[in-house]
Amino acid sequence: MLVKRRHRDAATTGRLSQMAAGMAAKPLDRRSFLRASGLTVGGLAAISTLGAGMTRRVEAAGFTDMSQPIEVKTNICTHCSVGCTVKAEVQNGVWVGQEPAYGSPINRGTHCAKGASVRELVHGDRRIKYPMKKVGGEWQRITWDQALDEIAEKMGEIRSNSGADSVYLLGSAKFSNEGAYLFRKFAAFWGTNNVDHQARICHSTTVAGVANTWGYGAQTNSYNDIRNAKTVIFMGSNAAEAHPVSLQHILEGKETQRANVIVLDPRFTRTAAHATEYVRFRPGTDIAVIHGMLYHIFENGWEDKEYIAQRVWGMDQVREVVKDYTPDVVENISGIDGETLKRVAQQFAQERPSTFIWCMGGTQHTVGTANVRAYNLLLLATGNVGYEGTGANIFRGHCNVQGATDFGLDVGNLPCYYGLGAGAWRHWSRVWDVSYEYFVSRFDAVPAKGGRDARTPEQNMEIPGITSTRWFDAVTIDSEEIDQQDNIKAMIVFGHGGNTVPRMQDAQRGMDALDLLVVADPHPTTFAALHSRTDNTYLLPICTQFECSGSRTASNRSIQWGEKVVDPIFESDNDYAVIYALSERLGFADQMFKNYEMVQGKFGMEPTPESILREINRGGWSTGYTGQSPERLKAHMANQEHFDLITLRAKPDAPAEIQGDYYGLPWPCWGTPELRHPGTHILYNTNLHPMEGGGAFRPRFGLERDGETLLAEGSWPRGSEIQDGYPEFTYALLEQLGWEGDLTPQEMAVIERIGGENIGGVSWSTDLSGGIQRVALEHGCVPFGNGKARAVAWNLPDPIPVHREPIYSSRPDLVAEYPTNADRRQQRMPNIGAVVQADVVERGVARDFPIILTSGRLVEYEGGGEETRSNPWLAELKQDMFVEINPEDASARGIVDGGWVWVTGPEGGSRARVKALVTERVNKGLAFMPFHFAGWFQGEDQRGNYPAGTDPIVLGESVNVITTYGYDPVTGMHEGKVTLCQIAAA
Amino acid sequence: MARMKFLCDADRCIECQACVTACKNEHEVPWGINRRRVVTINDGLPGERSVSMACMHCTDAPCAAVCPVACFYTTDDGVVLHNKDTCIGCGYCSYACPFGAPQYPQTANFGTRGKMDKCTYCSGGPEPDMSQAEYVKYGSNRLAEGKLPLCAEMCSTKALLAGDGDIIADIYRERVVTRGYGSGAWGWRTAYGETVTV
Amino acid sequence: MTIFSRLLTALSLVLALSLIAPAASAQVNPTESSVNEDALFQALGTSPVAGRVTIPDANAGYLIKPENKSWAALQGQTLHTLSIVAVVGMIAILALFYLIRGKIRIDSGWSGRKILRFNAIERFAHWTLATTFIILALTGLNLIIGKSVILPLFGEAAFGTLSTWGKIAHNYLAWPFMAALVMIVLLWIIHNVPNKVDLEWIKQGGGLLKKGVHPPARKFNAGQKLIFWSVVLGGAALSYTGIMLLFPAEAGTAADWQFYQTIHALVAAALSAIVIAHIYIGSVGMEGAFDAMGSGEVDENWAKEHHALWVEEVKATQDRNTKQVATPAE
Repeated sequence: MLVKRRHRDAATTGRLSQMAAGMAAKPLDRRSFLRASGLTVGGLAAISTLGAGMTRRVEAAGFTDMSQPIEVKTNICTHCSVGCTVKAEVQNGVWVGQEPAYGSPINRGTHCAKGASVRELVHGDRRIKYPMKKVGGEWQRITWDQALDEIAEKMGEIRSNSGADSVYLLGSAKFSNEGAYLFRKFAAFWGTNNVDHQARICHSTTVAGVANTWGYGAQTNSYNDIRNAKTVIFMGSNAAEAHPVSLQHILEGKETQRANVIVLDPRFTRTAAHATEYVRFRPGTDIAVIHGMLYHIFENGWEDKEYIAQRVWGMDQVREVVKDYTPDVVENISGIDGETLKRVAQQFAQERPSTFIWCMGGTQHTVGTANVRAYNLLLLATGNVGYEGTGANIFRGHCNVQGATDFGLDVGNLPCYYGLGAGAWRHWSRVWDVSYEYFVSRFDAVPAKGGRDARTPEQNMEIPGITSTRWFDAVTIDSEEIDQQDNIKAMIVFGHGGNTVPRMQDAQRGMDALDLLVVADPHPTTFAALHSRTDNTYLLPICTQFECSGSRTASNRSIQWGEKVVDPIFESDNDYAVIYALSERLGFADQMFKNYEMVQGKFGMEPTPESILREINRGGWSTGYTGQSPERLKAHMANQEHFDLITLRAKPDAPAEIQGDYYGLPWPCWGTPELRHPGTHILYNTNLHPMEGGGAFRPRFGLERDGETLLAEGSWPRGSEIQDGYPEFTYALLEQLGWEGDLTPQEMAVIERIGGENIGGVSWSTDLSGGIQRVALEHGCVPFGNGKARAVAWNLPDPIPVHREPIYSSRPDLVAEYPTNADRRQQRMPNIGAVVQADVVERGVARDFPIILTSGRLVEYEGGGEETRSNPWLAELKQDMFVEINPEDASARGIVDGGWVWVTGPEGGSRARVKALVTERVNKGLAFMPFHFAGWFQGEDQRGNYPAGTDPIVLGESVNVITTYGYDPVTGMHEGKVTLCQIAAA
Repeated sequence: MARMKFLCDADRCIECQACVTACKNEHEVPWGINRRRVVTINDGLPGERSVSMACMHCTDAPCAAVCPVACFYTTDDGVVLHNKDTCIGCGYCSYACPFGAPQYPQTANFGTRGKMDKCTYCSGGPEPDMSQAEYVKYGSNRLAEGKLPLCAEMCSTKALLAGDGDIIADIYRERVVTRGYGSGAWGWRTAYGETVTV
Repeated sequence: MTIFSRLLTALSLVLALSLIAPAASAQVNPTESSVNEDALFQALGTSPVAGRVTIPDANAGYLIKPENKSWAALQGQTLHTLSIVAVVGMIAILALFYLIRGKIRIDSGWSGRKILRFNAIERFAHWTLATTFIILALTGLNLIIGKSVILPLFGEAAFGTLSTWGKIAHNYLAWPFMAALVMIVLLWIIHNVPNKVDLEWIKQGGGLLKKGVHPPARKFNAGQKLIFWSVVLGGAALSYTGIMLLFPAEAGTAADWQFYQTIHALVAAALSAIVIAHIYIGSVGMEGAFDAMGSGEVDENWAKEHHALWVEEVKATQDRNTKQVATPAE
């Protein structure tokens, strides 16, 4: 205990102080001194200036009264995906202080700027305080009942006129797992697959690329495990700003391992400043760079031949493709010289274990999926997946973007990646205890149009919906062009910014054209302010995750339980209650909520998150979301200090209830909670028994291809009774192996009920008893099988990635040889990237817009930024939107640091007025803008569009006013990282 | 007796600004007052390093030397604090401080800066420890609670170290030996007349 | 005000250093080439270490300004000592002078006849200047030596309150002081142009040192001119530096504030010493002197002894006026 003692105690009273004190009979204050000394102050204008400035303005909210009891609540930071534990001190229902949560093995007490200021979220100065709607262009306060009644009625009207698919349900990576799951379930009951969330615009291409390579679309290792790496590559990731706390593990690992940290990025980022090697390249040329590295690896025989033979299929075809990417070719495309690339490649291949980290610099491209695939090829060729210190360390963006993705806030999936096939619908119908036919009845039939066949409701429910990147096109496009009954007429937006995708001029038109716009969010987003709508626009005050309980999944798949810190402030309410209240009015609440424990909430009944999680546990077999019961998760939060910093495993001295578990039971956590599977810290790790978190690559693409097996050869997880590759476990496979007798009668009964006629087809992912998983694990086998990763993903547009120029290419001379993907229809919409690219080349756009524009994150803000720009502690640190421009480009244009400039884009005469940040971070010919700003639109200040008192402190132009057309052919991911622009002093 | 100091390991600092907002959060520091800030030297160049800076609680503090009303005092922990009741907002400490620590609640015209405000090393002021009066003027008093300054406790990469000067110097020294590089104990020579040598 | 404070001079030095640092190879290793405090100090000398900050406060971009400590030493010790020496020294000199010379009497005794020396406007200007100066000097002096004189006597609370009000008084009474300063310049500058008479006056030591010696002088003798110019020039310097200190944003950066503060304090100490002498001679030091600024009318004998030429001028003017007035009556 540090006790402060002061030198001054004796000195505070002077020799004559007794006299002075006696004169005043009390300690002298200003007034008594003046009286005593006979001074008059009349006529001194000075008095007024004494006012506010003399003492600090302080809100009492932050004072902790040590004489009163303090309640400590633990929750998880609601910003990025690292999953930092927040320790909140609460007194009399007021969150009075944040303390470092030293127990958490993830953040060990630390935070970034955002995490260290989350307490402000419940101050709520600029939150939406009550439901509102726009009437004749003015915001009016209404009650929750009125809001929900009117919204439900309008949704009903739209449904009867245009069909269920005309209502777009845009969810959020800020939901808890339970909220995300509930929202996806809500979409199923409403009858549409038009349900999406932020993963579309951050890592959808990662999920597609990674899942198509080795089985699951998630970070293979963890932030903590990077401490084991000897070589770390960051490509298109600026973790120092986007995931600051992860740098704690990376920098400590770098120091203790003397590791190579290599940053490949067009921009010299804060992460690059701590690298051991920084390599700059032209944005959008990742594939050429990776292939250039693979060229050196194969040329010099640095590949891991044994690993490839045992665990990878198709690498020989890759070897042929990369032969074209000679050092000269790669330097021409990317700007990186051969020697540098050779050095980097050698380190990555030979100074192992090596890990590869990417983020939106890799994913937000027209070649996003192909970029991800290329990264995977580099990892596979060097044998760097499936062990400690290796892996695809994909840093997700938001606090629960992993969980929301897992629970199918995705146009192409039901919860836990079951897809949209009839089997998936039947599985979840069983879990939800609602008939499959009910869901068929909820979906639209789609008429034949635009030369396409008609669809029955049953067919329509298996067709992926419209991606969130194209929602506004789906509002305004010719109805013939959209592959559903009618255009989008209503946007129901829960926790999602409106400035997050390119072409905001078009987004604005889309907002204006909607029949109904509902924004459910703690803050009014750009969705509430960008447009000129006058009516049929609603704002619902949703509380933050600090004002409700629930679990969230960090990037490393660890699931952490957040405990409600304070009650929802003002009239805000939680997602569960609002989704329930809306379902009630839409007539399906009884069916949808029948499995949940309902309790009295703030304004009505609401389901408990625990009971929702228990339903997830009953259905999430395919992803191993079954072992993480609320009790286990809460026990982890209560005993955080017992988990190892590097392995994340509970140490031997841990309480029995968590002993041997990995922190947060990272999925897959197989079987029922009672099985006590510890979770999986490192995916596909054959060095561990599957019951200890071991695994193998998932064979989900058939058993053979081109006459070669797709099952692993000579590689299996430790303890496996099958010492070779094997397919996924089904009841039929158990029978073949003679292991069906290990099933208990209860498990058998469930399997029989599910299988009916085809009991052999019941699999590890549809067996609701968990018996098949349990038996497989007991024999040392991975329930999903033991297969090879695919170096060639034959179902993707580019089975092996090839370089393709961005649509708005700064090198039109390369477009002929490396054109973008051919036009296609995807997710119910046309993608005309090739037409646009040809036009861009023909018009010579690169001449008029000679600067490449890329975008990214700032540490102080997150996502669309309304929440963080409303937080004074953060807003003070970045008060203006800016563009980073190289000193040479700046001086050629007469631009000075801090001066105003106009950034103009090549589509629709777009322009943005921002401040110039003249810096060497960007090289000549490159500009960078952060994407968190909104509230200014092409020079116009839109502050007046926000309801009074809810406007964020800092407003600014959105970069997506300037960004342009371009969508990944697999996931519809937008091109957010490469476009062209011009910059002029304003 | 401990001699409290700050040491920012610039080879760990990533300018994440957690120290800045943690400070704002802990003490409800108003807009415009930055008790702590992060400065990036050589921004955008290979030599780039960021350093978190606040009051360094100097030995023979120059602020105290120039203060016309002697409102500064040094605690037994070596923390330089000041008395806002005595402070007249003359601004001299801000002229004298090598680290830009003193802050004022107002724009300074007509001498109406208001009372000076600065980092207290999370140890309040002359009022009774952990009292509301102390909180309102200086913010919370973590040292009295047996805790260290929140900026350092919450530093994302554990770059900012706080605690007894000898101990944190040892931690830093050990890091430099382990990793083989170190850009120096920024500000130590200026604040304490000595730096951490390895 | 720009959000990205650009500290060009300092930054360019830093840039220059960083350009030396990277190795010859094309490889960019940010860890190896990172800036180092010791090397940076060596390259910068006494210039500040500066960089980029995101808050819109240009001064926040200075990370370390070692030079500020030099000013702290100057302000905290040198100026402190100098001020005490100036004030206490002058008082001591005057006390000594008084002991030796005593009060300077009117040699020819009181005549009983009064002569108007300063009219009401002049006296108003003088006394406004005088009172504000005294308060400014005392409150200013308090900032220099109060902590070693008043604080131990009255304690922290009383001293704090006194100093707070003293500072406010100082900041606001500066304005009437400056107005009065302008007035006396307008009123008296014509009488204060140095001339040959002053040389003689100085040669005779103003007659202060010896009884019965009375060098001639006009309205203002050389001693008074010295006071006048000291007050005007010193006052102007104090006003200018004071305004700069009141409006620091306009004044520049901390280095400028330090400069202005130093000048302000030095001039104030010097002027205070001079004014103490002035007060002495205008009050206890010389019989009959106070009346000049008291009632405005001085004894004719006093006037003849100290301002013989002026008395002649006044008389001549009076005669002329009398004639002019009388002539039409005749």
